[in-house]
Amino acid sequence: MTQQVELKTSKGDIRIELDEEKAPESTRNFVEHVKKGHYDGTVFHRVIKGFMVQGGGFEPGMRQKPTGAPIQNEANNGLKNSRYTLAMARTSDPHSATAQFFINVADNAFLDHKSPTSQGWGYAVFGRVVAGNDVVDAIEKVQTGRKSGHDDVPLEDVTILRATVLP
Amino acid sequence: MEILAPPTWRAIDFISDLHLSEETPRTFEAWARYLVDTTAEAVLILGDLFEAWIGDDARVEGFEARGAAVLREAASRRMVGFMVGNRDFLLGRAMLDACGVAPLDDPTVISAFGARVLLVHGDALCLGDVEYQQFRAIVRGEEWQSDFLSRPLEERRAMARAMRAESERRKTEGGPWYDVDGEAAVGALKSARATTLVHGHTHRPASEALAPDRWRHVLSDWDLDSADPPRAEVLRWDASGFHRITPDDAVRRPA
Repeated sequence: MTQQVELKTSKGDIRIELDEEKAPESTRNFVEHVKKGHYDGTVFHRVIKGFMVQGGGFEPGMRQKPTGAPIQNEANNGLKNSRYTLAMARTSDPHSATAQFFINVADNAFLDHKSPTSQGWGYAVFGRVVAGNDVVDAIEKVQTGRKSGHDDVPLEDVTILRATVLP
Repeated sequence: MEILAPPTWRAIDFISDLHLSEETPRTFEAWARYLVDTTAEAVLILGDLFEAWIGDDARVEGFEARGAAVLREAASRRMVGFMVGNRDFLLGRAMLDACGVAPLDDPTVISAFGARVLLVHGDALCLGDVEYQQFRAIVRGEEWQSDFLSRPLEERRAMARAMRAESERRKTEGGPWYDVDGEAAVGALKSARATTLVHGHTHRPASEALAPDRWRHVLSDWDLDSADPPRAEVLRWDASGFHRITPDDAVRRPA
C-alpha cells in the first residue's frame, strides 16, 4: 500500500507517491511534516536547471522555518536519484535531514549511496512524482538569482500553497 | 601546461581540499608531517590547500607564514607543485617562488609511468552551477584581483572572514551539491589526449569510469578537526597504478 501526497504549488499540482517500504523513516517524517502544515507557505528556494529543485524549508523572503529532529539517512535503500524522484536534503552530515526535500530533474547518479561514510552516504530517495511532471519542469525553468545571500533563488516565489496526504 | 615526470620519480602524490586555516590546527599538523616526510618524489596539490588566501603579502607573518615554512621545507626535499582552488585562488607567484613550489595551471597534464593524466581542481567543470561560473569568471579576472589586492591587508582579512562566515552559513543550509559535468570531463580528457582525470573540489572521493576507457579519481578533503570520524587521504600514483593511502602510510619507509 502506498501513500500519496499532493503539493498544490503556485505553478500547479504535483502528486507524489511515497515508498514506505524502502524509506519508512523518510516517509513517516515527510507525512508528519505534511500533516502539521509545515510545508504550507514554504517556497522552492533553490532551483538549479538540469539538477534539482529544492524546497520545504523557507518562507518567502528566505525566512527559514524551524525544524524538528533529524532523521536517519535511508539512501542505502537501493532507490536511485533518477529524474522526478524525491529525496531528502541535508547538510554534509549524512544524518542531518529534517524537513527540506528536493525533486531530481535529471538522473543524478552521483547523489546515490556509495558507502556508509560521510562522503559516500548520498541522498535518500523516498518517493517519486506520479502526476505533474510538467509542473516540476516549469519550476525548473524559472529565472533565479541571488537573494539574501543565497544563490539559485527563484526571482519570483514558487510557493507550496498547501500539502495534503491523499486519502 | 604539461609536465613530463623524470624517470627518477617512483611515486607521485596528489592531495587537495585541506582548507587549512587558524581554525584547523590538527589538520595543519597532519599536513605538515605528511608533506615534509612523504616518500614520494613529487607532491601535486590540486587546490584549496588553504581555506582562504588574501594575498601573497600575507605570507610574512602569522598563519600564512607557518604554511609557507612547511611548503618551503617540503619543496627543499622533493618537487612540490601547487594549483589554485576556488578558495585559495589568490595564491600567486610571489608566494610560490618564495617557497620553491612550482605553479600548476588548471588544467595541467602530467605524463608518467607511460600514461597521460589530466589534473584540475574541479570547480571549472561544475558547469551546471551557472552562477558560480559567472562569479568565477569575475574573481579570476585581472580587474577584480588587482582591485582586491590593492586594498589594505586588514580590509582583505575582514572580507575573507565575511566570505568564510557566509560559506559556513551556506553549508548549514544544506545540499545536494554539484558534481563535475561528466560530458565536459570526458571532453577535456579527449582534448588533452589523456585517459585519467584527477580532481578535488567536490569532497566526494571516488574512482570510477566516466566513459569506456576514461577514468577519474576524485581526491578526498582533509578534516581532522571537526569531522567525526576524521579524514585525510593521499592519492599515490606509481607504476602499479593509483592507490589511496593514509598520510601515515605515505611517510612510511620500508624496513
